[in-house]
Amino acid sequence: MIENIDIARCTGCGICDAVCPADVIHMEPAPVTAEVAGLRHIALLPVIRFREHCITCFSCEVFCPERIVDVHPSVKNRPRPW
Amino acid sequence: MASLDGVLIETDVLVIGAGAGGLLAALSAKRHGTPGTRVTLLDSWMIGRTGHTAFSNAWMIVALPGDDIDGILREIVAGNDGIADQLLVREALQQSHARLKDFEAIGMTFHQAADGSYARRPTRGLDLARVLYPEGGGLEFCWRLRLALEREGVQLLDRLFVTGLLRGAEGRIAGAVSIHSRTGTFHVVKARATIVCTNAITFRSGFVRDITGTGTLLAYGAGAALRNAEFSYVRPGTPKFYFEGITFAIQEGAHFVNGKGEAFMREYEPEWADEADVPRIARAMALEKQKGNDPLYLDMSPIPEDTREYFIHSKVKWMDYFFRKLGAEARTDMFGKTPYYALNQMTKMGIRTGPDCRSDVPGLLAAGLAQAGCANHFAGFHIGLCVGNGWVAGRSAIEDLDSLPPPRLDANQIEMLHDEALRPLDSTAAAESDAILRDLQAVMFAYDVGILKHGERLQQARQRVEVLAERMRALAAPHVHELVRLKETEAMLLAACFILGASLFRTESRLSHFRDDFPERDEDNWLVWVDAVRDGDTPKFVKTPVPTPLCPVLRRAVRPTRLDQRFAVAGG
Repeated sequence: MIENIDIARCTGCGICDAVCPADVIHMEPAPVTAEVAGLRHIALLPVIRFREHCITCFSCEVFCPERIVDVHPSVKNRPRPW
Repeated sequence: MASLDGVLIETDVLVIGAGAGGLLAALSAKRHGTPGTRVTLLDSWMIGRTGHTAFSNAWMIVALPGDDIDGILREIVAGNDGIADQLLVREALQQSHARLKDFEAIGMTFHQAADGSYARRPTRGLDLARVLYPEGGGLEFCWRLRLALEREGVQLLDRLFVTGLLRGAEGRIAGAVSIHSRTGTFHVVKARATIVCTNAITFRSGFVRDITGTGTLLAYGAGAALRNAEFSYVRPGTPKFYFEGITFAIQEGAHFVNGKGEAFMREYEPEWADEADVPRIARAMALEKQKGNDPLYLDMSPIPEDTREYFIHSKVKWMDYFFRKLGAEARTDMFGKTPYYALNQMTKMGIRTGPDCRSDVPGLLAAGLAQAGCANHFAGFHIGLCVGNGWVAGRSAIEDLDSLPPPRLDANQIEMLHDEALRPLDSTAAAESDAILRDLQAVMFAYDVGILKHGERLQQARQRVEVLAERMRALAAPHVHELVRLKETEAMLLAACFILGASLFRTESRLSHFRDDFPERDEDNWLVWVDAVRDGDTPKFVKTPVPTPLCPVLRRAVRPTRLDQRFAVAGG
């Protein structure tokens, strides 16, 4: 299950959102420190919106060019027949 | 009409779902079509990066020149206990080498032996068939195909979740309607031929829990018959980690043992023991559970130390990450004592078609595992058949373009489908479909319902599913994310009715369908497909004899796997 995205190092490329097969990560506008005083800088940054639906496929981590996504290998909520 | 707000796309061939079947159907349609033929491929998520094929290792059965295609066909038919479309399987095998060359031409590479010949491995439960494995597994396979489709001018639409099929005025299918799986924007895709490739339905159980296979149910709603609902793909699994290398592990000496330390497979499968294919292993595991011999384990201790490393790495990138991040724990879990059970990964219910992949409804075709070509898919035959039937479906769709009247859109129908797609959206609602899904899983995965079946237990399960369906009707979705999940869960509930109904109907035991109350295989009465056809509001189950034009259906071959051929290589 996805644990964390190191937002401080994120470039906002959106690949983690694009490759997620479970709609867990959403790119959403967020205020960041502007380079020029007086301007409001709004960046699109990833938010772990539906963590509970992560299927632990590692795609976000595998394809992140900055290597800042961390998925834990625990597999949760796996149905059992007995 | 004022409420209608959406996007209209027009195409010639619409392919729904971008696994191996859909990717190949789109490629085939583009290549078989005259220049300028419009082909559109859409998927709920990102084409080339998501779906069952993308997360698989993409092993595929390929018959190289000189291979015994008739022999491979015979063993696949036998391995399906006869429930196979022989003509379609033969075509998939016959064209597999040409597809391999297509794949290489778009940049895929396949493992090779030192002398440059293809490295091939046998697959569980089959003797003659050999699988090839592409470098980079399913992710590379799907991505290469995505890039090729882009180059060849196929329109790719990511993130469209199909909610209905359009019925044209002449009883034909005229495309599909969908919602954007992030924004909810309504889309109409008008098409002259529509190929459903949305996999078989699952209950979010297997290692790829994003696949849900809703297209088959939409096809049923549009008038197609569904087939093979009583069969399922049940495989050994563990609650702790994903392990897709069981086939190879068993070839290296691993075997299943019960809680008493007894290797039990030979008792149930005298000829194949642990090398039996997965439905038979699952049945044996369930029978051991029934006897009280659980927990069950896959004993990997016979695997030599120097080859163990192989199993905690994978050529499939995401799986390799998984093991790497587990670290030392992976080694302990895999080679220590981790309980295994028989896990229902997906159903085998697909759309009834002929060997040309055309459904009963004009303009509607099926490919991939949404097409009911076989009731049992071996490692490597999942993808192998999907590659084959995808190619066939694309070709048939092109043939249909000139013979079917052009579709016309019906504004009233579109408005109805629009309302149906978006009606459950209610920002004040709570997201509750997961709770129903968990209850549904508990009903359908119980080993004495999903694996070892009995008339009374199936009836009880059906009543429980009806209660869940009633609960479902009251639900709404607060956002698009939940709207998609809710519609998927609705489809699963409907699929559960088909599965239980077909399981009650088939009063014998065959393949993955084991009836405690009808334990014998009955060749005289049940060498048939069980087809669910629409009869008012409820499905009616009917028998369709399985034609055997190429080989008679025999009891399973008793010849053991030839050990000396396990790692054979062949030229090509």
